[in-house]
Amino acid sequence: MSAATNRTATAGNLSNNGNTTNQQDPASYFLALARQGSPPPEGLTGGADEEYEREDVPTELNTINSSGGFVVVSTDKLSVKYTNVNLHGHDVGAVQANKPAPVKRLVYYFEMYVKNAGARGQFAIGFTNETFKMRRQPGWEANTCGYHGDDGHLYHGHGKGQPFGPTFTTNDTVGAGINYGSQEFFFTKNGAIVGAVKKEITGALFPTVAVHSQNEEIEVNFGQKQFAFDIKASCSFFSSLPCFCWINLSVCMMTFEYERLERMKQHLRIDKTPLSPNASYKLVRSYLLHYGYEETLNSFELATKNTVPPISMSQENGSDVQDIMYALNQRRELRQLIRNGEIDAAINKIRQWFPQILEPDYLLQDDKSATCFLLHCQKFIELVRVGELEEAVNYGRMELAKFFELPGYNDLVQDCVALLAYEEPLQSAVGYLLEGTQRETVADTVNAMVLLTNPNVKDLQGCLQSYLERVVRQLTVCCLEKRSLSGNQGECFSLRRALNSNYNAKGS
Amino acid sequence: MGESKKMISSVEWEKKLNDVKIQKEDMNRLVMNFFVTEGYVEAAEKFQRESGTETGIDLGTIIDRMAVKKAVQCGNVEDAIVKVNDLNPEILDTNPQLFFHLQQQRLIELIRNGKTEEALEFAQEELAPRGEEDQGFLEELERTVSLLAFEDVANCPVGELLDISQRLKTASEVNAAILTSQSHEKEPKIPTLLKMLIWAQRELDQKAIYPRINDLSTAMLEESAV
Repeated sequence: MSAATNRTATAGNLSNNGNTTNQQDPASYFLALARQGSPPPEGLTGGADEEYEREDVPTELNTINSSGGFVVVSTDKLSVKYTNVNLHGHDVGAVQANKPAPVKRLVYYFEMYVKNAGARGQFAIGFTNETFKMRRQPGWEANTCGYHGDDGHLYHGHGKGQPFGPTFTTNDTVGAGINYGSQEFFFTKNGAIVGAVKKEITGALFPTVAVHSQNEEIEVNFGQKQFAFDIKASCSFFSSLPCFCWINLSVCMMTFEYERLERMKQHLRIDKTPLSPNASYKLVRSYLLHYGYEETLNSFELATKNTVPPISMSQENGSDVQDIMYALNQRRELRQLIRNGEIDAAINKIRQWFPQILEPDYLLQDDKSATCFLLHCQKFIELVRVGELEEAVNYGRMELAKFFELPGYNDLVQDCVALLAYEEPLQSAVGYLLEGTQRETVADTVNAMVLLTNPNVKDLQGCLQSYLERVVRQLTVCCLEKRSLSGNQGECFSLRRALNSNYNAKGS
Repeated sequence: MGESKKMISSVEWEKKLNDVKIQKEDMNRLVMNFFVTEGYVEAAEKFQRESGTETGIDLGTIIDRMAVKKAVQCGNVEDAIVKVNDLNPEILDTNPQLFFHLQQQRLIELIRNGKTEEALEFAQEELAPRGEEDQGFLEELERTVSLLAFEDVANCPVGELLDISQRLKTASEVNAAILTSQSHEKEPKIPTLLKMLIWAQRELDQKAIYPRINDLSTAMLEESAV
């Protein structure tokens, strides 16, 4: 088959070293997957929370640019005291956080606790931009926003504020946050929402606190302690108006997660989208067919025929759909063997049924079969798992050594070999190789390669990924692209988060 | 018009697609969630065995729930009510609307079976008091009772109440209520993801031209016309 001419044959993009000699080997796609379990480099969280991974977050106060002379910042950089005697409007002791608020999330929030109201209780909490002059209250200058304790007003770019909420003083905890979903600033006092305003400031925003009369003292909390306002678990009920609205304080107080509620609002909007009723069923069926989950498929098909009304899952234009019933039974058996770690048995069956996928020059120009390689690695791992280290070493010398130093293969070989070095390999950085997910990846590789032996196959990509997976990828990329084209703020789609979230809250 | 849209080539788009990291186990969880929420117990069991994915819920609760749903779908509303209360008496207590709809369905079934006297008695004793509490219930009650006024019930203005779709609607409602009471989601995640995809593509259409998925069941990418 001419993989080269197929527009969807993008295996070349997928090998983990961008190696072009693996251009046409679909299994190189799985080579990259085989190392997906390995821990990411320092500083990245990786995996499903990718949008968090590259952003710094505020952790303490910035002592370098604070208005020196008026304030003293504690050694732990989490408290501020106004030591001066204030005389006018340009000797405010404002302090910013060390980093701007992260943007690639739905909500950012921080709090301030008032230890001492000092002479006049003229403190404030809010957000300011990079060029803010630290001698002014947040909110008094353009591109800043602040909620002030002495008058309970909100200042949003001028010296004249507007009535907003209660004043606050000693022992009060106030919070300030940014809701990227609705593009609003919101403020809280002692665990309850005070109100919100539309955010029109663009660019990096620094959490900012300020003190302005003698002996005022406040403490900040950037998340190192639990917040008084439980951003994750309590808020008042918001009416489900579209974005860009003032949050209405409803009389009805229910417990919801603030973030979750915001997502629920979006969810409600999306929920109204019309969808053809059997689309999900078709995707689930094709998923089972793709991966060879034969027993599940049979049970599912039977059950759907018996539902009231019966659900039809066949494709409308059967001729365009790939024949993924191909070798269903054999694929099921191979998956079972590999999932049980019976690699030798699996290899024997493959030799019997689909010898071509073990041949080095199948589909490729170069002389290595990635499928073979992954099976050998797994065999090696299984030997280590049961403690047969000597046999593992011999096996490694025989089958893995030739892949050493080869781009695309080398990383995995090294990780496998490293297993031998540890007494407790599971606790090591290469422990991921011993997890069930590794067997799963090998099973998926073999499955895909068998699908490719089908003489009727039309869509290369369809052998590597199920339609359901394609849907998830498309959704993720559309959200990422949409976000990057709209100021790059806000949350993005994450399958892991969608799986863990529950839009169903009691009382809804 | 609007500002010009960003053009994203197929090659560029494919690269973005391939950069997304997806874990197989998460995909399996999506499918398991579908079986469990839609109530396909045997499929869930088989899938657990074949893929090693946890069901995440006691399958016994699904069987109970499906029994209730089936009872309503077959018109055995009394049986369904008994089963729901066995499962969790609070469900009907805290869901007056659901309870009303179940009673309404009972009335419909009595009318369907020609038990006119029994139907009227039932309507007066059980449903009328509820109608007094709530205007919406009263209107529904009146609609249902009006079935008795017609010879050719199938073609009368409220004939749809006799349709199987009415049973399915009620069955769905009770299914959702049980799921909610078990702190489970009412709907599987896959349809939600599909809706999100439709919505996300529509939103992105305003700002960019890129390969779209237009047929959800094959998830094939199609180049957009410029």
